[in-house]
Amino acid sequence: MRRRIPHVKRLSVGLLLAAVGLLPAPVLAHHSFGAEYDANKPITLTGVLTNIEWTNPHSHFYLDVKDETGKVVNWKFEGYGPGVLYRTGWKKDVTMKPGDTITVFGWRARDGGNWAHSREITLSDGRKMFFGPPAGTGDGGNTPAVEVK
Amino acid sequence: MMRALLAATTAFTLLCVSFASAQNTLPRASDGKPDLTGVWQGGSTQRGSWDEANGGTGVGGTGRNPTAPVVLSSNDRPTGREGAPYQEWAAKKVLESFNRRGIDDPTAQCLPGGLPRSVMLGLFPQQIVQTPTQVIVLYEYMNVFRVIPINAKHPDDLIPAYMGNSVGHWEGDTLVVDVTGFNDKTWLAGTGTFHSDALHIVERYTRIDKDRINYRVTMEDPKVLTKPWTLESSLMLREGTRLEEYICAENNLDPARYEQLLKDGVKITRQ
Repeated sequence: MRRRIPHVKRLSVGLLLAAVGLLPAPVLAHHSFGAEYDANKPITLTGVLTNIEWTNPHSHFYLDVKDETGKVVNWKFEGYGPGVLYRTGWKKDVTMKPGDTITVFGWRARDGGNWAHSREITLSDGRKMFFGPPAGTGDGGNTPAVEVK
Repeated sequence: MMRALLAATTAFTLLCVSFASAQNTLPRASDGKPDLTGVWQGGSTQRGSWDEANGGTGVGGTGRNPTAPVVLSSNDRPTGREGAPYQEWAAKKVLESFNRRGIDDPTAQCLPGGLPRSVMLGLFPQQIVQTPTQVIVLYEYMNVFRVIPINAKHPDDLIPAYMGNSVGHWEGDTLVVDVTGFNDKTWLAGTGTFHSDALHIVERYTRIDKDRINYRVTMEDPKVLTKPWTLESSLMLREGTRLEEYICAENNLDPARYEQLLKDGVKITRQ
């Protein structure tokens, strides 16, 4: 439940590059990742799951995380909708439940709040699963659809 | 002895080839046409089940990685293909929408993805049900459907529609679908790629083997484009996958959040 941001910052660039390099195929996100989240602000947090919203278009979950002073802060994470999660092996109320201690890797919201986009979750039994797409999904591609003059 | 060994090896090889071929034979319907029936994933060229094709890094992509495979997505301009041939005034509007994408994107408001966007996306499956007289396509994304009568004419009393009005016919082994009757509320393929109600689309579905349909689409819109725009993609068979319900309006927080970001002066333009 230790906040691990300083440690992660060193790894973040490498992780991000690794994530980007391994991508299979760009596919659709419901909306633009880049509009709300900052791909240059990766974050890894460990905490206790307090709630999960299995909703469309996106699911959310909440994590109690202790900061440096020991104060507990509740973070909100966003990820795939239920259909996408089911197809990639998630089961509601089974795969992870409130009370579980999990570690989340993702990217922080641009507004700097306690809010982030979740990518990979390490479950309490050590399994790793994706809860959301890579950074930049749905962000409009490498270039706009028209030439920029 | 050598001759016998050679014969046995040849026979074994032929058996293997024949087995592999049988495994990947183009399925045909009772009327002899290629049967497109099945659950498909757009925006991919990977064979196999949903797990096999998407399990490695999960579904989704950055669209910002130039070394990623050339696959179309609904938000990304297809890498290595021509940009949308917009008229000058329209190109400006596309770029404006690009910077307001969280608000201007119809799907951010939970509206249907339109065409060809709905066909080419890969995060959600689509199911084709083919009969000799009509082809039905069900899209999990936004819970929309298309009914495509075969050898029919477009009705003359069309109501402008997000998914347009489709009629199909067969040209050899290719299903050709003519779509018109669109409203002007969807994007074509890529962020900001708006169109007018004059949009006319011709799609060509060619199932080249058991696993793959080649998809070629030509978009014409004389009100906003300077010439027809053609894109190619593929649909990959995902046996064992079922469509789920997708009720986007259930908890759509994005537009309000995006408005707030703009209001707060948070920099959201691309980096």
